[in-house]
Amino acid sequence: MNMNKHDVQHKQAFDEPLWWGLFSAGGVCFAVLLPAVILFIAVLLPLGLLPTEALSYERASSLLFSVPGFLFVGAVVCLPLFHTAHRLRHGLFDISVGNDTLNKKLMYGGAALLSVLALGLVVAGFLS
Amino acid sequence: MSTDQITAKRVSTNSASTKHISVKRYLPDTSTETYWQEYDLPVDDSTSLLDALNHIKEQLDSTLSYRWSCRMAICGSCGVMVNGIPKLGCKTFLRDYEGDIRIEPLSHFPVQRDLVVDMAIFLEHLAAVKPYLIGDNPVKPYDPKAPETYQQTPEQLARYKQFANCINCGLCYSACPQFGLNPEFLGPAALTLAHRYNLDSRDNGKKARMAELNRHDGVWSCTFVGFCSKVCPKHVDPAAAVNQGKVEAAKHTLIALFKG
Amino acid sequence: MDKSSSQRLPPLKRTWWLKHRFFKLYMLREATVLPLVFFTLCLLAGMVALLQGADSWQGWIAFMGSPIVLLLNLVALAASLFHAATFFVLFPRVMPIRIAGHSLPDQAIVAGQWAGVVVVALLFFWLLGRGA
Repeated sequence: MNMNKHDVQHKQAFDEPLWWGLFSAGGVCFAVLLPAVILFIAVLLPLGLLPTEALSYERASSLLFSVPGFLFVGAVVCLPLFHTAHRLRHGLFDISVGNDTLNKKLMYGGAALLSVLALGLVVAGFLS
Repeated sequence: MSTDQITAKRVSTNSASTKHISVKRYLPDTSTETYWQEYDLPVDDSTSLLDALNHIKEQLDSTLSYRWSCRMAICGSCGVMVNGIPKLGCKTFLRDYEGDIRIEPLSHFPVQRDLVVDMAIFLEHLAAVKPYLIGDNPVKPYDPKAPETYQQTPEQLARYKQFANCINCGLCYSACPQFGLNPEFLGPAALTLAHRYNLDSRDNGKKARMAELNRHDGVWSCTFVGFCSKVCPKHVDPAAAVNQGKVEAAKHTLIALFKG
Repeated sequence: MDKSSSQRLPPLKRTWWLKHRFFKLYMLREATVLPLVFFTLCLLAGMVALLQGADSWQGWIAFMGSPIVLLLNLVALAASLFHAATFFVLFPRVMPIRIAGHSLPDQAIVAGQWAGVVVVALLFFWLLGRGA
C-alpha cells in the first residue's frame, strides 16, 4: 500500500512536456498571430472595411484550401486550441472543479478533435 | 495589563507616532480557536515589524510567539503575512503602512502557535531535490600534495548565481496558490534550488534531480502565477527558475524517449 | 509527540484568487482563452460555410457582423492583446537568450515579440487590405 503510494508519487510525467510544448507554441501563436487575425477576419471584414474582393468567396477559398491555408489553420486554430485546453485544465484545478485526470482527457481530447476537424475541412476543400 | 508601561515608553522614546497593529493569535494550550489581538506601540521611521514584535514581547505581552534571529534578512526565519502578503518581519517597515496592519502566520503551513508555523513539508520538498553538489570533481581522487580546487569561471558562476541567493524563508510557498491547492507540489524554493544545482558546472546530479522535477507534483504543477517572485525578499525569481526547469524536464523526457 | 509535522492543511477554497489584485490579474490572464474559444468556433463555422458555397459564405459574413458576435470578437481581440502583453514578458524569464556569454536584455526580447505582432498585421494588410 505504502509502496504503491510511493510509486504513484514518483511516476514520471511523460505526457506533461508534450502538453506544455503545445501550450507554449499555441501561446506564441495566440499572442503574435491572433490579434491581426481577429482584427481582419472578425472586425474589419464584417464591418465592410476591407476591399470587396479581399475575401470574396473565390479568393477566400483559394487562400484557405491550399498548403499555406493548411499551415495557417495549424497555427491559428490547432495550436491555440491546445493552449486553451491547457489553461482551462489548470484553471479548473485552480477553482477546484472536477478532477484533473478527467479534465485532462476532456480538454486535450476536445482540442485534438476540433484540430482534426479544422484540418479536415481544409483537406476537404482542397480535394473538392 | 501594562498600559502604564506603554505610556511610560511613549514619553521616554520621543517617537514620531503610535501605530496600531493586529496580530492573529493561536494558543493551542488554552483554546483551539484563533483570535485577533490589538496592540498600540510607539514607532519611528526606523521601526521594522520585527522591532514591533520584539517590543510587544518585551513590553506588552510576553505570551506572543514568533520566530526571528538575524534581523538582517539572511536567516529567513521571521516570515509572516502582513495584510495578506508574505513578508520578512525584519525587512518590513511600519512607516510604509497607513491604517490597518494585520499580522498573520505564513499561509499554507500548519500553525503551531501564534506566528510560528510548521515548515516540515517545505523541508521535505527541499530535501527531495538533493540541493547540494553531487559527484563533484569526479576526475581525480583527492591528493593532499596537489589539491585540486573546484575551478569555475565567472561565466559559469553567472549562470546560477541569482538562484543561489535563496535563504529558505518560505515566503514563496505562502505566495504560491498551487502549493496551497496541493501541498505535495514541490514548490518554488525547492524547484529553484534544484535548478540552481543543475546549472552548476561542478555538479553531476542532474539526472537524479530530474526524476523529482519531471513529476506531476514537480515542475508541472506550476502555472506561472508569478507571485513567488514578487514576494521573494532576495530577488531570486523562483518563477523563472521553475519554468526554466520545465524546459529542462522537457529536454530530459525527449532524450529519455530517444534512448528508449 | 509533535503531531504537526505530518499535518496537512485543508486545500485552499475555490475563491482564493479573489483575495488579492495580483491573483485576479492572473485569473484574467488565464481567462483570455474563453473569448478565444468563441472566435475559434466562429472561424470553424466560417470554414464550414466556405466549404458549402458562396451563399453560406456571405451568410457567415453577415452573422459575423451581428452586434453581439462583433462585440464578443472585439473582446477576443482585446483578450489576445492582453495575453500578448502578459506572455511576452514571461518569455525572457523562461528562455533567457545568451549571446557570446552576455544575456540579451529582457526589454529587447519583449520589443522583438511586439515587432512580430506588427509584422503579422502588416502582412495581413498586404494580403487583404489593398484594393483588388
